[in-house]
Amino acid sequence: MDQGWADPRKLAHSAAKARILQEEALASLAQNLGLRSDEMEILGEPALGHFYSIAGLMRPEDTLVHSNVDRKEVFAIARVHQNSSVLGVEPSGQIKVDELQKLAKTQGVLALQVANGETGILQDVEGLVANSGTLRIAADFSSAGTRVPLPSRWDSVFFDARSWQGPQGIGIVAIRNGAAWRNPLPYLGATRTPQSASLPLLMSAAIALEEWQENEGSEVARLRALSQMLRDEICASVENCDVAGDLGQSLPHITSFSFLYVQGEELLRRLELAGFEVDSGSACTAEDLQPSHVLAAMGVLTHGNIRITLHQGCTSAEVKSLTEAIRIAVEDLRAS
Amino acid sequence: MKELNCLGMRCPLPIIAVGREIKNITPGESIHLLSDDPATEIDLKAWARMTGNQIEVKGPNEFLVSKSKVD
Repeated sequence: MDQGWADPRKLAHSAAKARILQEEALASLAQNLGLRSDEMEILGEPALGHFYSIAGLMRPEDTLVHSNVDRKEVFAIARVHQNSSVLGVEPSGQIKVDELQKLAKTQGVLALQVANGETGILQDVEGLVANSGTLRIAADFSSAGTRVPLPSRWDSVFFDARSWQGPQGIGIVAIRNGAAWRNPLPYLGATRTPQSASLPLLMSAAIALEEWQENEGSEVARLRALSQMLRDEICASVENCDVAGDLGQSLPHITSFSFLYVQGEELLRRLELAGFEVDSGSACTAEDLQPSHVLAAMGVLTHGNIRITLHQGCTSAEVKSLTEAIRIAVEDLRAS
Repeated sequence: MKELNCLGMRCPLPIIAVGREIKNITPGESIHLLSDDPATEIDLKAWARMTGNQIEVKGPNEFLVSKSKVD
C-alpha cells in the first residue's frame, strides 16, 4: 500500500511504481473474474456501473427490458429512455420467462440482475439468456459476485467489490470486445470512464477477491447450511414470519425475513443493541416511505423486514445467538 | 360492521390495528378499513395469506377485511 499512493498517470518514479501495482491489480481482478483486462473499466462510484453497463448499450430507438425487482438505478435509466418493458416475477422472485419470450424479437437491452441484493434470490441466468432472443445482455453481478459463472452470452457485466467482501467504492464494468457500446456520458479522449478510482482501494479489491476465492469453495456450503439453520429456527420460534424466496434459488448468505406487526426500524435498533447489524427493506425505514418494490412484487410482507447477510467466517454459535436475539426482540415489540 | 379509520397512519400501524381489531369480531364478520399508507394493500394481502383471513379492495384507500377462522 505504501507504494501505491501516487497518480499512475503521471511521469514520476513513484507514479511508475503505482502504475505497475495498478496493472497487477487489474490483471488479478481480470483473471479471477474471468474477464479480459482490456474489457474492464474500474469505477470509483460503483452505482454508475449500472449506467455505463446498460445505457452504453442503448440506442435511442431501443427498448430497455428489466424486471420489477431490479435496482432503482435501473428504473432511473428506464425513465430517461422512450421505450422500456418491465418483466414481472413469480412469488418465488424468479422472472416470468413467458413475458421475456414475448419480447425476444425486440431490439434493445435486457438488464439481467443475476441476484437480488435485497432478498438474495438468484435468477436462472442461462434460461433467461436462452429466451432473450435478439436482446443484448447487460448482466448485473453486483450482488452475485463470483458465486455465479458469467453467462454464455453477454455484452456488458457489472461487479461491485463489496460482493466479495472487498472495499466500498470499487465497481467493475466489462464491455465485451465488439459489443455495440457507446459512451453514455459526455467524454474527452479515448478513455471510457473517468479513471478516478482510488488505487489503494483497487489493490484492496484485488487482494480481497484473491482471498475470497481461496475460501469460497468451502464457505458456500457452510454458509448455505447456516442460512438453512437460520430460516428453520426463526420460522419455528417466531410465528407470523414471512421469508422471501427459497434458499435453493438464493445466494447462500442472504436471507430476507418479514415479521408481522413489527416495525422494521425498531427491530433493527433492538438487534444492534444485542450486537448484530442487519439491514432492512421496510417502508418504515425507507427514505421515500414507499414499501420495498422488491418485496411488493413478490407479495411478501413489506413491514417488519430485515435482511441478514452471513459473512465468511460466521459461526453456528453466532447464528444461534442471532436467532435468539430476533425471537426476543420480535416478542417484545409485538407486546409493546 | 366495525369501522377502522387508519387514514394518516404510517406502516405498520394500519396492519397492527387490523390485527388487534380482528380479535374482537367472530368468523364471518368484517372490518371496514380506511388507510392511505402506500404499503397497506400489499401488506394486507400478505397478512391475509399468513393469517388465513380474507381481504377485498373496495376502492382507493378502502378495504374490507373479513375474519375466516377462529383465533
